[in-house]
Amino acid sequence: MNNLVIGQFVPGSGILYKLDPRTKILMTIAYVFLLVFANSWPTYLWSAAFLLMALVLTKQGLGLYWRGIKPILWLILFTVVLQLLFSGGTPVLFAFGPVKVTLPGLINAFYVVVRFVLIVLMSTILTITTPPTAIASAIESLLKPLKVVKVPVSELALMLSIALRFVPLLMGETDKIMKAQKSRGMSLSTGSLIKRAKAVVPLLVPLFVGALQRALDLANAMEVRGFESAEGRTRYRELSYSKADAWAFGAVLVFAFGFIALNFVS
Amino acid sequence: MTDAITIKNLTYSYPEQGQLFDNFSLSIQEGEWLSIVGHNGSGKSTLAKLILGLLDFDEGEIRVFGQKLQLETLAAIRSQVGMVFQNPDNQFVGATVADDVAFGLENRQVPSEEMPAMIEAALKQVGMAAYADREPHTLSGGQKQRVALASILALQPKVIILDEATAMLDPEGKQAVLQTLKQLKERYQSKLTLIMITHDMEEAALADRVAVIDDGRLVENEAPRALFLKGQELAALGLALPFAMALQKDLAIDQPVYRTKQELATWLSKLKA
Repeated sequence: MNNLVIGQFVPGSGILYKLDPRTKILMTIAYVFLLVFANSWPTYLWSAAFLLMALVLTKQGLGLYWRGIKPILWLILFTVVLQLLFSGGTPVLFAFGPVKVTLPGLINAFYVVVRFVLIVLMSTILTITTPPTAIASAIESLLKPLKVVKVPVSELALMLSIALRFVPLLMGETDKIMKAQKSRGMSLSTGSLIKRAKAVVPLLVPLFVGALQRALDLANAMEVRGFESAEGRTRYRELSYSKADAWAFGAVLVFAFGFIALNFVS
Repeated sequence: MTDAITIKNLTYSYPEQGQLFDNFSLSIQEGEWLSIVGHNGSGKSTLAKLILGLLDFDEGEIRVFGQKLQLETLAAIRSQVGMVFQNPDNQFVGATVADDVAFGLENRQVPSEEMPAMIEAALKQVGMAAYADREPHTLSGGQKQRVALASILALQPKVIILDEATAMLDPEGKQAVLQTLKQLKERYQSKLTLIMITHDMEEAALADRVAVIDDGRLVENEAPRALFLKGQELAALGLALPFAMALQKDLAIDQPVYRTKQELATWLSKLKA
C-alpha cells in the first residue's frame, strides 16, 4: 500500500512546487476537461506535449510516474479490450467467430489509452507537487463562493485535512490488526470468496472501534486548545498567487487555444 | 500563595457506572508541581477532564485562579490551562509539526505574520525546532509528546496538565519528555503550575507533592519524601514504590529515609567502606 504514488506528496524543488495549489488544481481541472473533447491525432500530441512540459518542470524522475501508472495498467488493459471488441464499424481487421476487431475499434482503443494515461499523469503531477494540506486549503479557498449558499466550506476543509492526516495512521493500524489476526490463525488469502469476505469483519471491527476512539480523543485535544468553530480562525499558511502563477495561467491559456484550434481543424 | 486550581466538594458520577467522586476537595497552588497517582480506574484522568470542562460534574465547584468553571468561563479557563493527553497520535491535529503548533494559535486568532516566530520559540523550548516541517508519522512517540507540549506552550498557559503523557512511550522518549518538563519548570519557576497524572512512581517522585486517589477519594496528599516511607499503605492502594525505596525495603534497612536512586547509590557505597 505504501508504494502507491497516486495521491502521494513527494518533496522536490521543481518550479511546479512553487505554484499556488489553487493554480495547480485549476490547471488540472482545465486539462482534464479539455482532454475529454480531444478527437484527433494533433490534439492528443498537443496535450501530450503540454503534459511533458509539466513533467519536466516537476524535476522528478520518470520512474516515479511509471510507478504511478503501474497499478492501473490492468484497468487500462480492460478498457482497451472493451474498445477493441465492441466498437463495431468497418473495415474488419480480423474476426474470431462473432467477435470482430475493426479499424475504428483499434483507433478508439489507442485514443482511450492515451487519454487515460494523460489524465492519470496530470493528476499525479498535482498530488506529487502539492502537500495534502495545501490541497485542502486550496479547495477551501476555491469553494469560498459557496459560503453564500450556506455550505460550511471551512468545516469541510478542516475535516478534509484531518482525514488526510489520519490516512497513514489508519493504514499502519490496519497493518497491525492484520498481523495480529493472522497470528491468531486468520487467513485472507485462502478459502471460498464468502469465507474471505467474512475474514474481513474481524479486521474492520477493531479498526472502526480504534478510529472512533481516536476521533473522541482528537475532539478533546482540539477543544482544549481553544477550538470552537472552523469559522473565524486565522491561518498559519496563507495562500498567495505569485508571478509563477501568472506564467502558469498563461501557459494553460496557450494550451487551451491551441487545443481548440487543432480540434476545429480536424 | 494563591491557588491555581481549587476543587471543592466535587461530586461526579459516570453516566452508567455509578458515582466516582463524592465530596472531593483538592487545591493546587500556583507554581506547584503536583503528581496525581492512583491505580487504573481510580478517577485520576476523569479529574483532569473535569478541570478542563470536558466532562460535566454534578455538584461542587472548580475554580481556576479564582474563576469559577462554568459554561461562560470555559474559554477563559481553557486559555490558561493546557493539557497533554496519553496517546501521542490522537492529539496531533496538524499535518506537520509547525502546523500542529499553529492550530491553537489559529484558534486564538493570532495574526498569520506573528505565528512563525511564536511557533519557533515554542518548538525551541522542547528541543524540536529542527523538526518543524516533519510529518507526525515520521516522529517517535516521545517527539510527538514534546510537540504536543510545544503546541500548548505556544498558547502561554499558566497550568499544564499531563494525563499519563509518558505511559505509551519507550524509556528513551519518556526520559526526553521528563527532562523537557524539568527544564520548563526551571525556566518558568512559579509562573508554571504542573499537574502530572501518572501511575509511574519514579515520575511522581519528581513532583513537589503527590496526591494519591483511590476510587475517587483523596487518600494521601503529601511530599514524595514523606509518602514513599509508607510502603505498606501504598501497596494496599495497588501502587508500587519507586525502585530506590523498594530496594531499601528489601534490604531491611532500619529507619529508612527517602532517597532517590542516586542518593541511595552514594549511601550504599559509603556503607560498604
